[in-house]
Amino acid sequence: MLKIENLHKSFGDLQVLEGIELKVKKSEVVVIIGASGSGKSTLLRCINFLEYSDQGKIYIEGQLLNEKNEREINQMRARVGMVFQHFNLFPHKTVIENVMEGLTQVRKISKFEAKKIACHYIEKVDLTDKERVYPAKLSGGQKQRVAIARALAMEPVVMLFDEPTSALDPELVGEVLAVMKELAREGMTMVVVTHEMGFAREVADRVIFMDNGQILEAGTPEDIFDRPQNERSRAFLSAII
Amino acid sequence: MEFINVIIKYIPFFLPAAWMTLQITILGIIIGVLLGLVGAFLRISNKWWINAIAHIYIFVIRGTPLLLQLFIFFYVLRQTLSLDSLTAAFLALGIHNGAYITEIFRGSIQSIDHGQMEAARSLGMSYPRAMIRIILPQAFKRSIPPLGNQFIIALKDSSLASAITINEVLLQAQRLAAANYKMLEMLTIAAIFYLFYTSIFTWLVNHLEEWLNVDNK
Repeated sequence: MLKIENLHKSFGDLQVLEGIELKVKKSEVVVIIGASGSGKSTLLRCINFLEYSDQGKIYIEGQLLNEKNEREINQMRARVGMVFQHFNLFPHKTVIENVMEGLTQVRKISKFEAKKIACHYIEKVDLTDKERVYPAKLSGGQKQRVAIARALAMEPVVMLFDEPTSALDPELVGEVLAVMKELAREGMTMVVVTHEMGFAREVADRVIFMDNGQILEAGTPEDIFDRPQNERSRAFLSAII
Repeated sequence: MEFINVIIKYIPFFLPAAWMTLQITILGIIIGVLLGLVGAFLRISNKWWINAIAHIYIFVIRGTPLLLQLFIFFYVLRQTLSLDSLTAAFLALGIHNGAYITEIFRGSIQSIDHGQMEAARSLGMSYPRAMIRIILPQAFKRSIPPLGNQFIIALKDSSLASAITINEVLLQAQRLAAANYKMLEMLTIAAIFYLFYTSIFTWLVNHLEEWLNVDNK
């Protein structure tokens, strides 16, 4: 489904990713944890080329992606859903217009069809009553659920979540995680960067611990949370749990 | 009382000139907005030589007086390009406005949170499509207040066209005063017309802002 080989990335002198190797199977939920600055967000952003890696290969559904080919990258992005920490809803469009945007503009689906698809996914995140509302009127949790619906409407083969609950008030985290759990249960392939250890333990098939641009440890939630092998991951986990 | 009677009596003599002021201002603004759009895109390009074109344009136009630019159009380019004075005037005003509007548009485009572009691109949109669908509508809204300010400056700057024989409000005031010796009254009428226009512009800009502000209501 998703394969990353020997990925390197640096910002100036700062080496952010140092030879990342990662394979994600279909319907697998991979949760990436680690301290801030460990490179986990950058890794996620490299997967759909919001950042261009310096070296390494990325395959999606067996296809090696060529960063020089703009069209190929755009087509790939349409099949990879991305959810951002700060939602990034389009403020000049209503909820339903946000969800329809990719359908009409990228997948070239008629407005009529796009509306039906959008309604379906808005219902899925339980916001049908907010369809005609502008994002400014929504709570953080509602915004993030719209952002998830917007990504899902494109019917992606994999969903990338970049700290989707980090900008939310604590009481709003639950509703977003509930949507994500539901997705995982339905068999969506997901790569999630998060600090929500409860979610990782409950939902992840595999947890990856990153530090200084490297994957230090990977395994089932039980392996990582109950029997961390690496000293750095032990220190990190004892600091946050 | 005499003062007010003179003003009322002479206002009709200003109407053709007032129409002229409006024409060169509006044409100057339209050209300025078009040049500003082009300029802003050159300015945010990541190709240095495209960027350089916009920089030179802004450097030259912002760094020299409008009166000098009007003279260049009137005394030099008018002959070489065989323009009439009116065309020379609104081209000079338009190119002048364009330099400032370039910076207004560039600023508002760059003020849009980078996450907007990322979200659009992550849906698979190309850069131009993301610009047109997502960035520009938001940037345009944000550029309205400074743009309104620039329009009012453009209106007042149009008075400089009097120096190149355009019979607009200020030149008309001088001409009438030369004949009737009522300089204060004539200049007051000119001031009334400018205030009338700036009030309308201000009103329009404020309402445009309100109409476009749907998403924050």
